[in-house]
Amino acid sequence: MKKNISLETVSSFILLLAGFLLFWEWIRPLEQITDTGSVHLFVIYTAICFVTSFLTRNGWAKFVIKSFSLLFILDYLFLDATLLSHEWIQTLTLELRYNLAVVWENDWALMTSFFRSFLFLLLLWLMSYLLHYWFMVANKFFLFVVLTFIYLAVLDTYTVYDAQLAMIRTFVVSFLVLGLSRYVKLMNNVDTTDRKKHVWSWMTPVLVIVLFATILGIYSPKLNPQWPDPVPFIQSTAGHVGFSDGPVQKVGYGEDDSQLGGSFVEDDSPVFEVIAHDDIYWRIESKDLYTGKGWERSKELDFQELTNGSVGWSTFSQQVETSSYSAEVRPVNQNQLPKVVYPYGINRISSLGQGQDLFFSDREYGHIEFESSEQNQNLSYNIEYDAPSFEINELRNNSNNDPEDIREQYLQLPDSLPERVSELALEVTEGEDNRYDKAQAIESYFSTNGYVYQIEDVSVPEEGEDYVDQFLFETKVGYCDNFSTSMVVMLRALDIPARWVKGFTGGVEAADQPPLPDDYSLYEVTNNNAHSWVEVYFPESGWVPFEPTSGFTNPTDFYVETSGDVNTEDYMIDDEETEEESEQESSEEEQENEPLNPAENENEVGGANNEEEGNDGNYYWIGAVLFILAILATIIYRKRTELRDWYLLKKWGRLKERLEIEASYVYLLEILEKRGMPRTKGQTLRQYAKEVDQRLGTSEMYDITLAYEEYLYRDQTSSSKDNKRLQGLFQQMIDQILA
Amino acid sequence: MDYGNEVGKILENIEKVMIGKEREVTLSLVALLADGHVLLEDVPGVGKTMMVRALSKSLNCDFKRIQFTPDLLPSDVTGVSIYNPKEMVFEFRSGPIFGDIVLADEINRTSPKTQSALLEAMEEMNVTVDGMTKSLQKPFFVMATQNPVDYEGTYPLPEAQLDRFLMKLSMGYPNEADELEMLNRTDREHPIDEIEAVINKEQLLNMQKEVDSLYVDNTVKRYIVQLVSETRKSPYVQLGVSPRGSISLMKAAKAYAYIQKRDYVIPDDIVYLAPYVLSHRVILRPEARYEGVTQSSLITRILEEIDVPVRKELHG
Repeated sequence: MKKNISLETVSSFILLLAGFLLFWEWIRPLEQITDTGSVHLFVIYTAICFVTSFLTRNGWAKFVIKSFSLLFILDYLFLDATLLSHEWIQTLTLELRYNLAVVWENDWALMTSFFRSFLFLLLLWLMSYLLHYWFMVANKFFLFVVLTFIYLAVLDTYTVYDAQLAMIRTFVVSFLVLGLSRYVKLMNNVDTTDRKKHVWSWMTPVLVIVLFATILGIYSPKLNPQWPDPVPFIQSTAGHVGFSDGPVQKVGYGEDDSQLGGSFVEDDSPVFEVIAHDDIYWRIESKDLYTGKGWERSKELDFQELTNGSVGWSTFSQQVETSSYSAEVRPVNQNQLPKVVYPYGINRISSLGQGQDLFFSDREYGHIEFESSEQNQNLSYNIEYDAPSFEINELRNNSNNDPEDIREQYLQLPDSLPERVSELALEVTEGEDNRYDKAQAIESYFSTNGYVYQIEDVSVPEEGEDYVDQFLFETKVGYCDNFSTSMVVMLRALDIPARWVKGFTGGVEAADQPPLPDDYSLYEVTNNNAHSWVEVYFPESGWVPFEPTSGFTNPTDFYVETSGDVNTEDYMIDDEETEEESEQESSEEEQENEPLNPAENENEVGGANNEEEGNDGNYYWIGAVLFILAILATIIYRKRTELRDWYLLKKWGRLKERLEIEASYVYLLEILEKRGMPRTKGQTLRQYAKEVDQRLGTSEMYDITLAYEEYLYRDQTSSSKDNKRLQGLFQQMIDQILA
Repeated sequence: MDYGNEVGKILENIEKVMIGKEREVTLSLVALLADGHVLLEDVPGVGKTMMVRALSKSLNCDFKRIQFTPDLLPSDVTGVSIYNPKEMVFEFRSGPIFGDIVLADEINRTSPKTQSALLEAMEEMNVTVDGMTKSLQKPFFVMATQNPVDYEGTYPLPEAQLDRFLMKLSMGYPNEADELEMLNRTDREHPIDEIEAVINKEQLLNMQKEVDSLYVDNTVKRYIVQLVSETRKSPYVQLGVSPRGSISLMKAAKAYAYIQKRDYVIPDDIVYLAPYVLSHRVILRPEARYEGVTQSSLITRILEEIDVPVRKELHG
């Protein structure tokens, strides 16, 4: 008996200790996320409160101990005078008086740290009281455990606090304590003699399971965050739409591409408007150094001032056919995009503002920036450009004589690039003998081989993993960065100089069009239109843009010269997907608007290749079947009671015909059990019948049972059968049960 | 079932004297009808004698009482042959055991020799005095009482002899209301004097025969066997219930069913009677006592664990 008491004490001590450990997890982050120092003192105070609550039930004793230790801590932290000396009391009253006045005035910020610590200690006191009540008196742990997890998750998400270890600690402590508390609750109904016996037969599996789960949890591979960091999303919803940079995972133009991958959230906040003749691509810059994780520049940017806004360089050679246009760009918010976006073939740029604005450009990477003299930073500018049209046969006939500097800069690949990437590149381009056809083959490879466009659930390469390799062979899902980077890397692996280009797609025609000359429209470009694509170097023609991303169409003109008559406007070949052209053009707008819909893209991919279509079709079928099965399962689950009753009634219908008392009675026991009134093992039929009648408010069960007993135990020669009456009783009983 | 109503009347009669002891009275009657004997373990003064007297009066039977003391001799129980000088023969003077209903009071106060004289008579239905064997007449019903064993100066009954009692009961003190009622009733005149006979000896014997002929289905018999064999398997038990115990349980169940005016035995009868019929037949290991297991709690526990038959046993 003595042992049992000590056992209870031990278990309640463990529960309280667990409560303290969990509460500690609440205090622990304070050091990092607030300017609170001396967290250890607060922890000590909490421990004192817990221990006091455990040791004594005397309310006065508890009060005295807790308030004195509170004073001690305050004295230690803030008061120089000897404890309880005259001076000490004076300081204390002064502090209290001042702070109460401050509180009265609602000048919370003026409170002294003495008073804040005092209030915090009071809060700890209160919390320890509450937890003691929850854990020891009410025996409720689950709520606090859940709250702790939520607290840690929120802190980990929104603050600098790294709750990884805290989570593990909390997991172990809370599950052990839940197991133990369950045991304590169970033991309340058990003879005292049996209690001790079961402690270890209960706690051993609890320990083993918790430890196993913890170790498994720690060492098992984990998915990357399944949804993007909520902080930028919340910020963007709150209106702080900014120049997305660094780790911000939001669709939009960003400068840092050294670590590609990860999911994105859509962001349709507008970046700029353009008046242009077509929804052409808007270039911002190119990058040349692939690191295995992302893109960097191999050279420093070198900005030169543009004289009279004339851009002294071009991405393609002068042999290329061009047609002249002009466009007007109006950034919505300069802070968001401190760069000039420009179309291929830019000649001149001029600001539309009043002041004298300066433009600078970097030739190598194609950056154009400006310095506005105006206060209003939203500078609009006009661009004159000669849009190139590439003649396909000319591209095919380009030599392979790349200049040495181009080869040096645009064939760089990391040593860590897996062999299979170049093997795939060779395989894809097998049978192509010229640079254009090879680029074409790679460009169309993705869309015809099941690579899926999506911005959610895109993984980031792990340590030692290659971004391109991961996309090509492992995940096969991604967005423009995946497609374009892969194409560049594959081309380089084939010794074809190529570079990675960033910018925006053409955007959507605005709903309200201002009066404009013919062929010109106002386009709205949003963060969703941020894009990246590929430029391939052709020694005679210069850099030619390619568009490998599934679901996107290269807006650049390609044409084949027929019978010497150059007619670029009439005869256009768009990549290889000529047959797709009309279909795509009609859905272009929609697509630009929602380039993120993977299903739609996949659909179009399917259109390009019949074999693929069959494959996709299969997936749809499987999906549809699974969906229907899921719905059926849900219906069955929700209607399970009705279905069971239906089945039981049907069974009764068959039994009724046969007039078999035994089968009927067994059936009755079955439905009673299914209705949550099972007969316990040692219960006699009579005891059970009484219980059932009491619960259902019936009397038939007892009558039936008497009759059944007679059938079961009486000498059959003397038993009298009144089947009609019995059948009636059965029917009534079953109606009652299933009612 | 010719005497169904008489059973009720007997119970009613005894109820007049024994207030609030319905269960013990019924069980005693069960033992009587099953032709068995009862061991009452109780402190003095709770109405053991009164119950037996009321019973014998209702049945119009001959009531004898033996007060066992340490110096009681077997011949004091069975009777002695005394020389009759007039007729020059030894004449047998029958002892108190030759009654129909015998109250053997404080049986554990006497020496084992005297105890066994009584117990042998109970089992063999005859006594041997001076080489002459004399049969006892039916009905023969012994109600033995014993003080709780840990009293000073007692000779506890050996297991083999305990087994001869059909059931072991304990009256216990009446509750306050019952005791007050008892005082009220015995205020002027003792109600025992008002009791009149309900049936005679012959009718009682017939009733015993009827009880004997009651039907016990195989399913119920199997249930009894299962129960008894479980007592032999239990880890707390040193010696389980003997086959005599199974037979006793079945006999008692028949009598109980008879009292319930039923002509067949159901498991409920077994469940009700098992603690009274079986618990004095098991000997627990010493460890059991430390874990708080008593004989009757063990039987109850086993009853909870074995399955009550729900389907009819298929014959063949």
